[in-house]
Amino acid sequence: MNSGNRGRLATGFLFIAPWLVGFLALSLYPFLSSLYLSGCDYSVLAPAVWIGPENYTNLAQDPIFWKAAGNTVLFAMVSVPLGLLLSFLLALLLNADIPARGFFRTVFFLPSLMPLVCLAVLWLWLLNGDLGLVNACLRPFLGLGNHLFGASWAPPNWLQDPHFALAGLVLTGIWGVGHPMVIFLAGLQEVPRHLYESADIDGASPWQKLRHITLPMLSPVIYFNGLMALIGCFQVFAVPFVMTEGGDGPERSLLFLATYLYQHAFEYWNMGYACAIGLFLFCLILGLTWVASRVSSRHVHYEGA
Amino acid sequence: MNLLFLRLPLVVAVFLSGCSGDSGIPSGRTVIRYWDKWSGWEAEAMRAVVDEFNRSQERIWVEFSSTSHINRKLMLSIGGGVPPDVAGLFGNTLAVYAENNALTPLDQLAREAGLGEDHYIPIFWEICNHLGHLWALPSSPASLGLVWNKKIFRENGLDPDRPPSSIAELESMNDRLVRRDTNGRLQSVGHLPSEPGWWPAIWGWWFGGQLWDGERMTMDDPGNRVAMEWISTYPRRFASRDLLSFRDGFGNFASPQNAFFTGRVAMVLQGPWIHTFIEKYAPADFAWGVAAFPTADPARLGTVTLVETDVLVIPAGAKHPREAFEFLRYVSRPAVMEKLCLGMRKFSPLRETSPDFFAQHPNPHIRTFLELAKSPQAKRVPPFTLWAMMENDMKQAFGKVWNGTATPEEVLREVQNHLQAELEKHQQRWSRLSGILQKQWGSP
Amino acid sequence: MTCGKTIRFLLLLALAATFLAPMAWMVSTSLKPLAETMTVPPRWIPSSLQWQNYPDAIRAMGYFWRYTGNSLLLCLLTVAGTLVSSTLAAYGFARLEWPGRDKLFSLCLATMMIPFPAIMVPIYGLFKDLGWIGSLKPLWIPTFFASAFHVFLLRQFFLSLPRDMAEAARIDGCNEWQILWHTVLPLARPILLVVAVFQFLATWNDFLGPLIYLTDQRTFTLALGLQSFQSQQGGTAWHHLMAASTLVILPVLFLFFLTQKTLIQGIATTGSKN
Repeated sequence: MNSGNRGRLATGFLFIAPWLVGFLALSLYPFLSSLYLSGCDYSVLAPAVWIGPENYTNLAQDPIFWKAAGNTVLFAMVSVPLGLLLSFLLALLLNADIPARGFFRTVFFLPSLMPLVCLAVLWLWLLNGDLGLVNACLRPFLGLGNHLFGASWAPPNWLQDPHFALAGLVLTGIWGVGHPMVIFLAGLQEVPRHLYESADIDGASPWQKLRHITLPMLSPVIYFNGLMALIGCFQVFAVPFVMTEGGDGPERSLLFLATYLYQHAFEYWNMGYACAIGLFLFCLILGLTWVASRVSSRHVHYEGA
Repeated sequence: MNLLFLRLPLVVAVFLSGCSGDSGIPSGRTVIRYWDKWSGWEAEAMRAVVDEFNRSQERIWVEFSSTSHINRKLMLSIGGGVPPDVAGLFGNTLAVYAENNALTPLDQLAREAGLGEDHYIPIFWEICNHLGHLWALPSSPASLGLVWNKKIFRENGLDPDRPPSSIAELESMNDRLVRRDTNGRLQSVGHLPSEPGWWPAIWGWWFGGQLWDGERMTMDDPGNRVAMEWISTYPRRFASRDLLSFRDGFGNFASPQNAFFTGRVAMVLQGPWIHTFIEKYAPADFAWGVAAFPTADPARLGTVTLVETDVLVIPAGAKHPREAFEFLRYVSRPAVMEKLCLGMRKFSPLRETSPDFFAQHPNPHIRTFLELAKSPQAKRVPPFTLWAMMENDMKQAFGKVWNGTATPEEVLREVQNHLQAELEKHQQRWSRLSGILQKQWGSP
Repeated sequence: MTCGKTIRFLLLLALAATFLAPMAWMVSTSLKPLAETMTVPPRWIPSSLQWQNYPDAIRAMGYFWRYTGNSLLLCLLTVAGTLVSSTLAAYGFARLEWPGRDKLFSLCLATMMIPFPAIMVPIYGLFKDLGWIGSLKPLWIPTFFASAFHVFLLRQFFLSLPRDMAEAARIDGCNEWQILWHTVLPLARPILLVVAVFQFLATWNDFLGPLIYLTDQRTFTLALGLQSFQSQQGGTAWHHLMAASTLVILPVLFLFFLTQKTLIQGIATTGSKN
């Protein structure tokens, strides 16, 4: 390396020094340490004892772990498409010259800013079986259905019912689609007008315009929003934790990988096992990102180069 | 970027986070932090003792904090190296803390203070010892008994002073006490194991079952199976749906609509605290009795009860263990202990209880609860680390049998397999660490 | 308005009402007397506005003002930390040429893949060894070491700036630090504001961090304090809980309305050109 390069290297390193220290101490070291600890029996108050792959074999046979993993994947599989659909729909609706557009955008966006604890407490109240607003709104419809079909449907006791607790959580998450909506909106506004104009000239229907112009042009944004949402869903912690007061929910239907990890780390003092769960989570996210990038290379169209 | 505008909020922030009500600690004293789970009037009872201790000497000041979710918070603080000096735990969780090296062994300190097993009722001393070391001192104990509604007995032609002495008699009384309304819906019953249903794991004890034999889990032993079958007779006798809607009609436990106080359920398994709730929420003419909960085979099984106690511990890494123990020692003085237990409406864990105690005690049946704790067949939660998991598993198992979605055999087998696997893991962990930890703990 | 537009508008109105309903319900509950929170069917407008619920909730929470102070302090510290460290790193990655730069930046991006729970345990161990557990330090000191997401945002912005002013300054003999401070940063106010707001929201919102690092109730943040309050109350004092929640949200709302345009713009740019 010549002296010019050396000088530039030094300057560069100086600027990124805080990041580099942070990377080494708060990313690399913990990651490697986690790898090591996942092969240990480590309760933080006693020294870590190496046990090899035992944590992983136990994990594979742990039905509660699989339940947590299943819940996490199910939650992601339902939330992400629903969220994408809704945020996209809202962005489409807002992408026009209508009065009070700013007001609408604010209304849809605000819930995504709410601190998660507030969100959880509010929805705990909204989903209350007897007194919650959600059931109050459902009752007239169910009553009508009962009347028409002679059934005896009752609104579920959302967070106490093992079949509906996860649905309640999905509902809570959907309220926060304002954030991806804003990103979609920006993306929509970047679609070149001339594409739509020429489509109009060709006599295309709105549906055709959507399918052949909007969606392809927006595919990078869809990909980005989808990926972010997926990664977020896999790490969900605060809302189920607050709603179940640190518990698992009815028949463990609200147990997720992150909460299970927390339980083992800080309630059972099983930190090695927790690290194994953490690494599983990491691999899951990595795997999904890889799959998503495969999918995107075929379906995502980037404008220009 | 203009940083000036940051300064005002910063000042405000520092001011707000600093303002508190921490005054009142006299200077020159060693301050000990004491966390306990109690709130409300129970916390007041302990606070009175703490205040007296602080008044009685000049060297130490105990700062009492009523802490919710104490297990989680305590674990975090011990794990983080910043524990309080004294903590109040449930005796059932002692094994977990001890085996995880989260407590300071008290053997030496107790020996120096002259506190030994002859000071306490044997079962309580047993609860505080584990793996050859003393980890805690008892604070407020409890036992469980059959609590019954004398008025309902009288109204239904049963001798109000004669509780059932066996499970068979319990069930025949139960049948007599079942009332339904004109639509066939349940109005009242004699007994439901789900009311209050706070101890789903131990029903087997009244049928001769055990939870473990010291080495292995025995969740599916004959006694436990008979107990579970007994539980399954309930959804057979009363349809699950009837039980559910009956249950829906119950009010909150801590309210006048409590199922026991409103006469919906005539007999419950409960502890000494029930008296406080009765005083507060039951009708004025509520007449009740306490006796041992009946067993399936009284001649063979004797007087069976669950004994538990709250304990005081010194977490590992506490900054002032000696001063902390001074407080523990103070609490163990007969006069102080009786004052605490009186305030807690419990009985005293000490071997001797003064007659004054009974005279002053608001609970008319406190002596019965005490005698139950002294019974040779009194049982305590086994000293293993699985108790929380077991309770959880048995709660699920109870629920399945109660709803009729599984048979007693199935659920017990599931629980046995799960817990045995977990027990083996814990035993393995202990065998790995026992050498290191025993050395650290020193000789008892 | 055309027919299509009318339908669109009405649909938006209906959706907006649905989105607003929970928040309106929250405020409505917070102003009701306790008995009215339990009425079935629920009523929207309280019979009398119980403003008293707010001071009552504050009192019931115990250390509310302390929590607020702690949260504010943390927000200020973390915003300062992020701004300083992430700007430096982003500048280093964007505007300086040095060998290995792009590889290291890819590494930086890659760290965003690592979920916090996966490394939570060793990080906790690290803070424990440093003796920081129980204090606020683990919650703000790490922000002085740059966050990958903010570095990414800032780098995007720096890359979009024209190079001529910086080149001119470089020829004039200014060092890189002076270039950053005098020519680049003045243009960067909008993006810095976005990063500041993002960090503020992240800190105000943070729950898992305070949950595992803070042990003494007096050091709790508002988020943790609210959760602690909620789990103590169980299922009873909904009017207090909703009042407390409203209070916790207010600063966020305030911040939002103050920085609306820039914030929305900032969020929009995170999604584009990816």
